Amino acid sequence: MCEACGLRADTPARILPRPLLAHSHMEHALRIREVTKRFGAHVAVDRLTLEVPKGCIFVFLGQNGAGKTTTIRMVMSIFKPDSGAIEVLGQPDAALVKDRLGYLPEEKGLYKKMKTAEIVAYFGKLKGMDPADADQKASALLTEYGLGDWLDKRCEAMSKGMGQKVQLLGTLIHNPDLVILDEPFSGLDPVNRDVMRDTILRMKREGRTVIFSTHVMEQAEQLCDRVMMIHKARLQFSGTLEEVKRGRDFGIVLHYDGDGTILPQTPGALRVNDHGKQAEIFLHPGADPQTALRWLVDKVRIRKFEHRAPTLHEIFVRTVDEANARLAKDGGARAQESN
Amino acid sequence: MASKTLLVARREFLENVRTKTFWLGILALPALLAISLGAGVVLAKLKETKSYAVLDLSQDGIGARIERAARTPDTKDMMQLLRGTGLPQKLQEIKAKYQDVTEPGTDGRDREMPDEMRRELQRAMLDIPASDFEKLMEHGSAATSSDKFEFVDLAELELADRPIEEQRKKLQELVEAKKLFAFFEIGADPLKRLDDFRYVSNNVTDSALRKNYDAAATSVVQKMRIEDAGIDARIARSLQEVVRFREQKLGAGGAAEDVKAGDKASKWAPVGFVYLLWIAIMTAAQMLLTNTVEEKSNRIIEVLLSSVSPLQLMAGKVWGIAATGMTLVLSWVACALLGVWMAPKLIPGLDLPLLDIIGDPLYLVSFVGYFLAGYLLYAAILVGLGSVTNSLKEAQNLLQPIFVILIVPLVSMLFLVEEPNGTVAKVLSYIPLFTPFTMMNRAGGPPEAYEYVLTSALLLVSIWLAFRAAGKVFRIGVLMTGNPPKLKEIVSWLRER
Repeated sequence: MCEACGLRADTPARILPRPLLAHSHMEHALRIREVTKRFGAHVAVDRLTLEVPKGCIFVFLGQNGAGKTTTIRMVMSIFKPDSGAIEVLGQPDAALVKDRLGYLPEEKGLYKKMKTAEIVAYFGKLKGMDPADADQKASALLTEYGLGDWLDKRCEAMSKGMGQKVQLLGTLIHNPDLVILDEPFSGLDPVNRDVMRDTILRMKREGRTVIFSTHVMEQAEQLCDRVMMIHKARLQFSGTLEEVKRGRDFGIVLHYDGDGTILPQTPGALRVNDHGKQAEIFLHPGADPQTALRWLVDKVRIRKFEHRAPTLHEIFVRTVDEANARLAKDGGARAQESN
Repeated sequence: MASKTLLVARREFLENVRTKTFWLGILALPALLAISLGAGVVLAKLKETKSYAVLDLSQDGIGARIERAARTPDTKDMMQLLRGTGLPQKLQEIKAKYQDVTEPGTDGRDREMPDEMRRELQRAMLDIPASDFEKLMEHGSAATSSDKFEFVDLAELELADRPIEEQRKKLQELVEAKKLFAFFEIGADPLKRLDDFRYVSNNVTDSALRKNYDAAATSVVQKMRIEDAGIDARIARSLQEVVRFREQKLGAGGAAEDVKAGDKASKWAPVGFVYLLWIAIMTAAQMLLTNTVEEKSNRIIEVLLSSVSPLQLMAGKVWGIAATGMTLVLSWVACALLGVWMAPKLIPGLDLPLLDIIGDPLYLVSFVGYFLAGYLLYAAILVGLGSVTNSLKEAQNLLQPIFVILIVPLVSMLFLVEEPNGTVAKVLSYIPLFTPFTMMNRAGGPPEAYEYVLTSALLLVSIWLAFRAAGKVFRIGVLMTGNPPKLKEIVSWLRER
């Protein structure tokens, strides 16, 4: 029993009055404990433990094949974990709360011959919506998202961007409490990227939990409350942006004109990410940024100089490098032992 | 839970049934059948007239007699046959019964025959013993085919008074030049020898003309020889009489009764049903396969699986396509009934009571029931196959063994009609993959009640087992990408609990 509202903790969210949704009956929308999934000899997810608090935007980071999609599929109960436990919206099995989850897979498909309004409504009905409500809501949503003229058109007639919008609406039509979007920004033009971003933010405002995976670090950095990174089946870090960045080396962000090839010679430089007009320079521990600035002023024309915490991009790349180095070392050690 | 299966099924059904191509496909088969039947009738009428000449070497000119005999089929034999069947009396009775309604009206015009009378006439025709019916049909076809042959007199060819050698040479040239289809040579002394009767034609496949002439010449020569030998005509007729066993079967009470012409027709009816069954099952099962592969290859499957369980999805698809197939089958049945009802009205000469045969409840119920059972069994196999492949091309490769299996019911179709209760028929009935086709095929027999029970039980158990296996394969296969799994892997999935 919840002390705040007097309802049972497992009261289905869809019968709760809307304002109460934001009110937390359980601390977490998702809890993953020691979950492992193998496909034959390949370990796709290795002893993953993770908690996603309710009402936040949570980003899954990782290279292709790192284990993000497998994790998501286990959360959606499409795959069963080999070991460990997954608790979704307070239930030990996602199958029990399927109707309260929304899922947009990375590889998106539609029935080409179905009409847009029909397919959005169909996804709603599959989530247990009343058929009449689903039909009405589908038309309303499509109109709201600028596809009002396309209600009666077949999906095959739409552009890729419109198709992606239709898929997103099919994911959201039943007002899910937890939405999982696998690579939602991939293949979107800038306008539709904004639509996707606004949709994610709106869901957060409505008290829903949004998990999405992405390769676009800037997007993740701007949107997320919390972030985790998985590399080669293992969790590398997890927490708020602040927590993730805490304790990491600060770097120099430099906006410049001139020859960028000399940047790695900056006194005290450890790594340089040069983008041509802008560069991130990371210094050895203890190196003085002032010395570096003085040296740089002579070499290139500086438009902006900033000493700040590393970007998510930098953290991502460095984590991959470190993890690979560690794995190589472990592998080498094992090879030596076996010799 | 079940309602989600229903939602999936409904979508599958509507998606297929709503398309124009589906209805075109449904109508194409009856339309093609009707066209090919119609074309057959038209072609038979259009068949080229074949001209032939006769070179008569005999002294007393029997060529002319043979020609006359060939022109006018032996109506005496036919009449005798008919009298033996009792048909003429029956026709008279029916005519008398309906006299009041068929008599010309006051305006002197004939009145239309009432439907009831038409049916009675048809039934009387089908009640003729089957063996007599066959003979009558032979006579009938000889009579119609003789219209297609045109006799050309030698005088027309300006050969009448020429020496035999010249006539022969000229006729050979005409055959060579395709001006004549053939010519006959009547032997010099038919009373003594027949080995110099010749038929010369460059068409070696069409033997209808020769057979027609064989029969005519035989009857003329026999008559001549009888006269020559001074045998009494009555004795001769009795000597020439052909033995024909009266075909009988044991009826319900164990008493022997004549096999009716209608019985034969109804025995052949299952062949049509088996053929339709085969097409319907294949169409529906392939629809399911294509659909599964497409859903998998365009990745919509993952969205669906976030809302329904794999088994719900599979069941929904299977039932949705079952409903689609049922629409197909029932539409065909409706077309068949409509066709049988319409045909006599459109083509005046065609008055077959096929409606009674096709409308036989045993056939219709078997057809619908075996469609459903056969479809389900093949559906389980194909939905499993579809779930492990990534493209239609891959799926088609895996389909090949299934097609090899499916050739069996087609090949055995005609053979099984002749021996509906033979050993082969019985053995095939107990192989579940063949049960629907074989039992439909044997319906003319019909098989014993216990056979229906046993084979149906076996079929239902097989369907259940096939779906259990398909469920296990589908659950894993449907999310797999990359190379299709090896047989070993699939077996290991089947072993999973």
